[in-house]
Amino acid sequence: MTTVATSAPSRPSGQLGHRIRIVSGVAVTLLFLFPVFWMVLTSFKQQVDIFTSPPKFFFTPTVSTYVEYFRRADIERRLINTVIVAAGSGLLSIVVGTMAGYALARIRLRGAATFGVLILLSRGVPPIALAVPMFLVARQLGLTDKHITLILAYSTFLVPYVMWLMRSFFLSLPRELEESAMIDGCSRYGAFFKIIMPISLPGLISTLIFSMILAWEELLFALVLTNRVASTIPVAIAGIAGDTINGANWGALTAVGTITVVPVVIFALLVQKWLIRGLADGATKG
Amino acid sequence: MMPSIVLLLVTLAYPIFYTIDISFSTFDLSTFGAGEWVGLANYEEVLNDYRFWDALKVTLVYLVIALPLQVALGFAIAFLINAEWGGRGLIRALFIIPMVVAPVVAGGIWRMILDPLWGLMNYALQGIGVGPLDWFGDPNLAMAAVIIIDTWRWTPFIVLIATAALLALPKDVFEAAKIDGANWWSTLWSIALPLLIPIITATFVIRWLGAVKMFDIVLAATYGGPGKATNVLNLFIYEEAFRSLRFAESSAMAVIVLVLTMVLTAIFLYGSRKLEERF
Repeated sequence: MTTVATSAPSRPSGQLGHRIRIVSGVAVTLLFLFPVFWMVLTSFKQQVDIFTSPPKFFFTPTVSTYVEYFRRADIERRLINTVIVAAGSGLLSIVVGTMAGYALARIRLRGAATFGVLILLSRGVPPIALAVPMFLVARQLGLTDKHITLILAYSTFLVPYVMWLMRSFFLSLPRELEESAMIDGCSRYGAFFKIIMPISLPGLISTLIFSMILAWEELLFALVLTNRVASTIPVAIAGIAGDTINGANWGALTAVGTITVVPVVIFALLVQKWLIRGLADGATKG
Repeated sequence: MMPSIVLLLVTLAYPIFYTIDISFSTFDLSTFGAGEWVGLANYEEVLNDYRFWDALKVTLVYLVIALPLQVALGFAIAFLINAEWGGRGLIRALFIIPMVVAPVVAGGIWRMILDPLWGLMNYALQGIGVGPLDWFGDPNLAMAAVIIIDTWRWTPFIVLIATAALLALPKDVFEAAKIDGANWWSTLWSIALPLLIPIITATFVIRWLGAVKMFDIVLAATYGGPGKATNVLNLFIYEEAFRSLRFAESSAMAVIVLVLTMVLTAIFLYGSRKLEERF
């Protein structure tokens, strides 16, 4: 590492500084993880163990909240909806966005530069400015409460994201790669699919993962464009969290929260190398 | 490129123009479409509405506190968790967890932790003689709560970018500084910081683009309350449109937000370029 405290490991004070850094780094990480840990812990409590003062760390775990809430609130269907929408919009954006990113990076077209700037600008468009007309249009077309509507709505922020990331990724590849393939008789499409795609796989995967996470947790469009059939998990959670009339339903909140968080966390940890890279690329090159 | 142009025209450009169209018209609730052209009337109404200004002020307070806090914390923590040792990879991996927790879930969890009666936070605070604090009953504390939640969720994002930036710093410059006998402060101030300025400003702009859209955390944690203390513009527009069905006025507000965002983003981009040149 090139940071300053490690640059003096020979001196005893440097040693001490290094150790303090490690300990505080671990402490900060545990502090940041604690809320998630507490949520999972609470989801296995019975109602009587949740509302106690002092808060209980040790109790007899139960899955009764999960069983009860699953039966009551249609969580299963919302979970399936969320998976459909996240996967659908992730895949759509990656296909469309990658092709466009490639075109932006490689093909000389009039207006490509302008288009690039527009894409960058579109990342600043507040979703609330889109939600109102989307709702009105979806209503007129009879498309409210459908998966496809949400998938298309999510493409408004996912496609520009994918395009921009993949554009910088393609720019970092040497042009000679396709040129030699094209001299050997490959078409532009042939070169793209046979040469470029295989090399781009890591970048592609990280972009896809992050797109799906973004779609997985989106709330505003889901709230506006769905109501029952295609409703997603974030909408359910917002409902429970904002439900102040019945008092806080922490059991339901933590159970549903755990159901949504655990798969994503496991997934993110499995692919963390790609995730970190995708994020870093997105930030530094975007 | 064609498919993406078509897709974005339909899903992005069309709604924007539609919003602009509605913002200059009356809204006909019987047909659910734009009615008569009324010029700037909607804009006048919005600009004369004190609730709009209140929401704008709330949004600004949130942005002004949360953004620098998150960027500073993010880089500081990145420095800490990148100390070289065996568990570094694991720590770095674990640190991404808050980031993949959906904002609504984050809002919900923290609502529970900050609960005045049964929440863990007040219990811990009482241990050191503070509180209990009514986090969601007091306007200032509610804003603090929103900022805490937002910071909890977004700092890991900045930590990751900062990590990538720290790893990309050229090692030999630091070696040279060490040989020249530079102490850690001057190393930090005159070597590391100038090298990091571009990435810090880039992070700020990215986080800004995310933060102006913030909606889900307030919705799950405070629903704008108490009173209107945490009613950010996005929530206010949402309420005006979908609760009060005032689509014309809310479209005018959305257009104002759009223009403000674009202008400020342009200023930030310009400013960050200037800053990079200076160092």
